[in-house]
Amino acid sequence: MERSEGDTRPVRTLLKDVQARPGTTTLWVTMAVLAVLPFVISAPLASEILIWGIFGLGFNLLLGYTGVLSFGHAAYFGLGAYSAGLAFRYWQASIWTGLLLGVASAMLLACVIGALAIRKRGVYFAMISLAFGQMLYFLALSPLKEITRGEDGLTRIPIIHLFSISLNRPRPLYYFIFCITGLMLWLTWRILHSPFGKLLQAFRENEERARACGFNTTLVKFFSLVLSAFYAGLAGALDTVYLGYVPLTTLFWLTSGTMVMMTILGGKGTFLGPLVGAGVFLFLQNTISLLTPRWELFVGAIFVAIILLFPAGILGTIRDRVHAHQMKKLKKAADAA
Amino acid sequence: MYLRTEKVCKYFGGLRAVDQVDFRLKKTQLKSIIGPNGAGKTTLFNLIAGVHRPTGGKVFFEDREITRLPLHRISRMGITKTYQITHVFPSLTVYENVRIAAQSRVTSFNFWDSTHRLGEVNAKSLRILEQVELIEKRNWLASTLSHGERKYLEIGIALATEPKILLLDEPTAGMSCAETNLCAELIQKLNRELGLSILLVEHDMSVVMGISDEVLVLNEGKVLAEGTPRQVSDNAEVQRVYLGER
Repeated sequence: MERSEGDTRPVRTLLKDVQARPGTTTLWVTMAVLAVLPFVISAPLASEILIWGIFGLGFNLLLGYTGVLSFGHAAYFGLGAYSAGLAFRYWQASIWTGLLLGVASAMLLACVIGALAIRKRGVYFAMISLAFGQMLYFLALSPLKEITRGEDGLTRIPIIHLFSISLNRPRPLYYFIFCITGLMLWLTWRILHSPFGKLLQAFRENEERARACGFNTTLVKFFSLVLSAFYAGLAGALDTVYLGYVPLTTLFWLTSGTMVMMTILGGKGTFLGPLVGAGVFLFLQNTISLLTPRWELFVGAIFVAIILLFPAGILGTIRDRVHAHQMKKLKKAADAA
Repeated sequence: MYLRTEKVCKYFGGLRAVDQVDFRLKKTQLKSIIGPNGAGKTTLFNLIAGVHRPTGGKVFFEDREITRLPLHRISRMGITKTYQITHVFPSLTVYENVRIAAQSRVTSFNFWDSTHRLGEVNAKSLRILEQVELIEKRNWLASTLSHGERKYLEIGIALATEPKILLLDEPTAGMSCAETNLCAELIQKLNRELGLSILLVEHDMSVVMGISDEVLVLNEGKVLAEGTPRQVSDNAEVQRVYLGER
């Protein structure tokens, strides 16, 4: 019964069913679908979906995998957008500098907010993050008006170039964002299959037990927050490149709310959930707002219908059904044995 | 002395849950803590394991004071507790439950390597699943296990942290007679064969008297008696508390 220390061979064979090397098919299929997306829907809409998708990948790490609800993610997204925008406008910064600044400032802000609020749990953490988010919004609205241009948003951002290709044309811009999305999907994939990724889920499932296993769970939560700010800052900076200006609403709480909605719609705690959520949300918004000025009414009704049909989000519910099916098979096999 | 407490106390408001308890556990000893409901057994466990901080008194492990260390530090020093009401990771598989605990001794914040590369951690997890007889159900979600199986998984998770001292909080609670006997055998095996020091809170007297080296009796937060199972069951005070006045 006891397995000797050096003998890893029989374990290898067992590992095939326990945990095989994680397959990357999902990644490749997703990238293939995204590659043809601008031929199906308009390239600007597709770009917007990817930007919110990147934002969502990070937000989902925090909400879906770590189980922490932040209601102030607009702060990281908006700060990323403004940092990049300011760098573009005042320093004529290159695209890389802009993105880097967006990411760095968002992560720095997450470190500060994290240090202050990380010990709060559940709804208290959500409320504190909301308060910080709104604080940034009002800062940009009036005290910092001289730099941020307040209500008008940050305009007059020069056209951004990537190796002499100007990114104000939709297709090149889309494929630039597409490449970054690919990188972020790959990064997320690695994180989720890493020991740290599993630790995030353990934290979500049972924080005290994770602590009893010897993990410093406060740090786990902190790193998860900073990591998700990394995605949010990047998405914000890309949003600036995409729009060519920074609207003040990037910092508004509604941005956080939209993110929560997209993630839940797609299925929190599923790898592609936020991307699907962003796609469905923005597609509906775009299509229906063409038909009627009261688009919120119809989009809202459709969301209610989707959540009734898929209580755990679109991909979440599908995953739950697959799990239930697998469990049934495993139980049958156990009964037969 | 391996593990010892010095006048350790825990008050919840006016309630003295644990009141000036002194006790010691020797290396490789299997010691049980018994007492009526509300005697402070679980609280005493939580004070040792770092779930609660004592109101007063001290806890020493291997001659180092661990009184105010947080839960995760104490776990890393080698004291691990299992939970009376099972605390597993329900939507992870049985294997992943144990692997999370096993990886805690190797890595915390490695976000780049895939877990399937943690060869030794994975092998250890499987060995432990064999020990607690859950190897056949390794791919099951923990939420689909029966109550008894979850109790075994509890022990499996605790073992995966490579404890020097294992604190078992009512491991057989809610088990059938046959399951209880198997579980007692497992505990005895961990003690005898792996040389684990075990502190056991248990209601089932046949288990306690059958496998313990020593027994500590708590009543209303205080130590009532301490000694071998024989001495304790012959003690007049213990009989009075358990059976009422004669």
